Amino acid sequence: MKHTLRQVFHSGKFVAGFCILVALLLLIAIYPLFVKGDPLAIIGQGTFFPPGTYVNTYDSIYAPNTYTLNLKDAAANRIAQRLPEKDREEMKTWLVAYGIPEEQIDVNDIKALLDIWFENYDPNESLGMIYAKQRYYQRLNDSIRNLLSIEGVILAEKNPETGELQEVGIVNQTDYVNINEVANVRVLPLGTDNFGRDVLTELVRATAVSLEIGLVAGVIATLIGLTLGLLAGYIGGWVDDFIMFITNLFTVIPSFVLLILISFSIGQEKRGAVTIAIVIGLTSWVWTTRAVRSQVMSLRNRDHVNLSKLSGHSIFYIITHDIFPYIASYVVMALILQISSAILAEASLSILGLGPRTTDVPTLGLMMNWAMIYQAHIMGRWWAYLPVIIMIALITFSMNLMNTGLDQVFNPTLRE
Amino acid sequence: MKGYRKYFLNKLLWLFITLIFAFVLNFFLPRLMPGDPVAAIVGRLAQGMSDTTGMKAVYERYAELFGVDKPMIQQFFIYVRNVLKGDFGLSFSQFPRPVADILSSSIMWTIGLQFPAIIVGWVIGNVLGAVAAYSRKGWDKVIMPVSIFVSNIPAFGMAVILLAIFAVDLKWFPTSGGYGYDLIPNLSWQFVKSVFVHYQLPFWSIVLVAIGGQAIGMRSMSIYELNADYVKYARFMGIKDRTIIKYVFRNAMLPQITGLALSIGTMVGGALIAEIIFSYPGLGYTLLNGVMGQDYPLISASTLIITIMVLLANFIIEIVYGLIDPRIKAAQAE
Amino acid sequence: MSKVLLEVNELSTKYVTRFHEDVYAVDRVSLKVEEGKSLGIAGESGCGKSTLALSMMGYYFPPLHYISGDIYLDGNNITKMDPDVIRRKILGTEISYIPQAAMNALNPTQKILSFIQDVIWAHNPKATKEEIFNLAKERFTLLGLPESVLYKYPVELSGGMKQRTVIAVSVILGPKVLIADEPSSALDVTSQKMVIKMLVDLMESGFIKGMVFITHELPLLYNVTDDIMVMYAGQIVEKGTADEVVLDPLHPYSRGLMGSLIVPEEGMREQKLVAIPGAPPNLKDPPSGCRFAARCKYVIPQCTKMHTIEMQELGNGREYRCIFSEEELRKAYQNG
Repeated sequence: MKHTLRQVFHSGKFVAGFCILVALLLLIAIYPLFVKGDPLAIIGQGTFFPPGTYVNTYDSIYAPNTYTLNLKDAAANRIAQRLPEKDREEMKTWLVAYGIPEEQIDVNDIKALLDIWFENYDPNESLGMIYAKQRYYQRLNDSIRNLLSIEGVILAEKNPETGELQEVGIVNQTDYVNINEVANVRVLPLGTDNFGRDVLTELVRATAVSLEIGLVAGVIATLIGLTLGLLAGYIGGWVDDFIMFITNLFTVIPSFVLLILISFSIGQEKRGAVTIAIVIGLTSWVWTTRAVRSQVMSLRNRDHVNLSKLSGHSIFYIITHDIFPYIASYVVMALILQISSAILAEASLSILGLGPRTTDVPTLGLMMNWAMIYQAHIMGRWWAYLPVIIMIALITFSMNLMNTGLDQVFNPTLRE
Repeated sequence: MKGYRKYFLNKLLWLFITLIFAFVLNFFLPRLMPGDPVAAIVGRLAQGMSDTTGMKAVYERYAELFGVDKPMIQQFFIYVRNVLKGDFGLSFSQFPRPVADILSSSIMWTIGLQFPAIIVGWVIGNVLGAVAAYSRKGWDKVIMPVSIFVSNIPAFGMAVILLAIFAVDLKWFPTSGGYGYDLIPNLSWQFVKSVFVHYQLPFWSIVLVAIGGQAIGMRSMSIYELNADYVKYARFMGIKDRTIIKYVFRNAMLPQITGLALSIGTMVGGALIAEIIFSYPGLGYTLLNGVMGQDYPLISASTLIITIMVLLANFIIEIVYGLIDPRIKAAQAE
Repeated sequence: MSKVLLEVNELSTKYVTRFHEDVYAVDRVSLKVEEGKSLGIAGESGCGKSTLALSMMGYYFPPLHYISGDIYLDGNNITKMDPDVIRRKILGTEISYIPQAAMNALNPTQKILSFIQDVIWAHNPKATKEEIFNLAKERFTLLGLPESVLYKYPVELSGGMKQRTVIAVSVILGPKVLIADEPSSALDVTSQKMVIKMLVDLMESGFIKGMVFITHELPLLYNVTDDIMVMYAGQIVEKGTADEVVLDPLHPYSRGLMGSLIVPEEGMREQKLVAIPGAPPNLKDPPSGCRFAARCKYVIPQCTKMHTIEMQELGNGREYRCIFSEEELRKAYQNG
């Protein structure tokens, strides 16, 4: 046993897959210690906030200290942020249409461009453009009116007695706050989803749930497959014929069809994560049965098994002592494969809308389903679906690598 | 030829058994579930529809189709008789459209998309796998890691990634549908062009996923064959490497054909999900609509049709396989 | 002394495993096959005898690699030849091979005739299908095989028939030397006899001029070949005529190996059941000195102190690899 383990850990592929899986498990275990709270809590009002650090504006104004920093490129950054090149090109288009010679306009000289713009722009001039385009220019004009101003923004409060605004302070363009001194800052490394939930927190929880589903389904499928395979392979005769008949039937009838039928029949309310896992497990045992059966058949007439039979050991004893140890490696490989394919099956079911009910827990499939329903892929909200795909690919990749590694150790003659 | 006829009849018999079994499962599975399926469906109807006359008509239709008051076995034969007549009942969600009508318009899209995509993916995958196995050093280092990586991206993931890159970002192809939403299906040049453009992304996403898995399988099969005794013997009889490579790839190809037969169900499943991602008007999308609309007759008919398609594909592959592998005939003749 | 057909001189080859480890399977092996004579090579599995069979043909492909030594075929040094020339001019036409496990030696999806066509076209691209068919028919009839075999796939042939077909294909181009690697193992007794008879007939009729026969079954060698070599851990440990090596083995290993054959002697019955204790050394890192030392019951410290043990010649081609003299060995054996 020790020797086998050492051999397994000599296989580079197995070790690589194992490390990825352990890293994922560590992430699942450690992340909730740092980010507490309900992974399905809705924190954002609105859909798909992009990834980044969110700083509370109110708290920034009331930060204990305000620092003045004279940074050379601050003004340039501000203009670039508020007037990106795309808008400058659009301004040029308007001006050219208005009749300004093209060579007089330099989109990179912002000051000159703004001068020409304010000199010529007339919000009432349509220039034959569609209404939406006109509105765009009007909005643009409003937003850049104070672009070159060096004045600060005045802060005012309502006087509780008179109801009039009173100036209480000014925020200058050179004012800074230290982010550590702002009371409320939230990092959303993967933004929020369509419901306004933190994608990363949700993803970590979903990975854990999906792995649980995979494990439950994999264990069920492997147990059924192992039992049937042992019976068919060891007892043979009509038991074998019958089990193989059933196995062959379920090999050709696509398991996802069964999954769809069963999941739909169970109904939305009764479909929990565990139920789905059990259903997946019940529909995916055929491959294990086949593999175990063929292994057992080749073992059945080996000398040590015959010796055990002659010694009068019971079938149960022979199976557990003389057959199982020889097929254990296959069973482990089958289990790993079952886990990864169960995770995929859950994802496919959820995309169809037949996954676990949506109120309890997130799963990788449900996250994918939500992202698809809310068109994240079409709107370019990559953070809602790409991490999910990568997570699924990482899980299956790590498990396939482990399996390839095991295969190389246990079947050295078969490959390469 | 006697051996082959036996093989053919054997497979034909098996096709019938599996078809009957698929029918039985499709009928009994929902009825084996805890709770009264009819009551559950009536409950869903109340949520899904506002038109009371329509609802009533659906309920009557459903009661008739399922013959709820009759014994289970009798219900089954009513179901079989109706299905054989091409009557799958009426859709709940698209009432009063018959399910058969909805399906007949989506089957062709699915067959037209999946059949070529799976074949093309299979062929390309096998060629790449063979090249990787033979060249080992150079190509193998590139093809294999890429294939392993690609084959681990789920089918829907591949579809979403292709869509995000080529449709949303680069805008080379449309994001959804089987043809332009402003067109009416006809045989005009404009329509054909639109279908072609809409076809590309779903097609390649299925192809890419198929390539990954097939290339890996073909590579290990080829390596296994390259080490076979007959290769060594042929080499020592002075036969040219090029001729030997032909033996090896032909022999490695044969298990890949059986492999295709065994995995076609899974591949179709993945491809249906890809259809959903692209809102492609095939069976996958119909199935999604069925689930969304709690449309039981539509779901049941879709799964039955998908199963029949997979069983037929399986049958055809095995028949072709029997024709090209001499071992099959020999084994049957014994 | 008649003409030497095949001479192998100090040949060393190695296997490279997929973990890039070198396995020195053939270590400075020398042998001679004279015209009209056959040579048997005996040894446990894993002793390098199959590798030696492959190495003798001068055609190397991974994982087998040539290290050093020369092979003379009909007086020509083939180790210096271009591999493609060897493939076209030597393999199958001058020297031919019958593989171990001939069960799987034929391409399963090709009819026998089609394979024969490929073999002949590899050496003579101009041969017509008709010529090939006539030649194949003639050869098969001559060797007592039915013509119908030509139209069959390998799966349609029985084990013995398959092996005989392989032999017929191997000699179809009229090679001078035939190297047979365990041609009769894995066959039932009747088929074994037929295969052996076929090989003996080929030799006796002068169709092939020399043969190397490799096996782990000693009774076979004694009856089939003129000379015998015993191989252990990649090296030759004893050479001589069949009578000498089988009836009067000198090397302790040969003696252990032959033990079961010599029935009449008192006390041999026990040895028959008890195999030589221990396992052969790992050829990735062969031990220095005598490689058999670890399993030899006559071992003395000197055996492993020397770097290599050389062959001792007794004349007439009789040689053995041991630090003891002939007398010392005989005395030791007499004392048990």
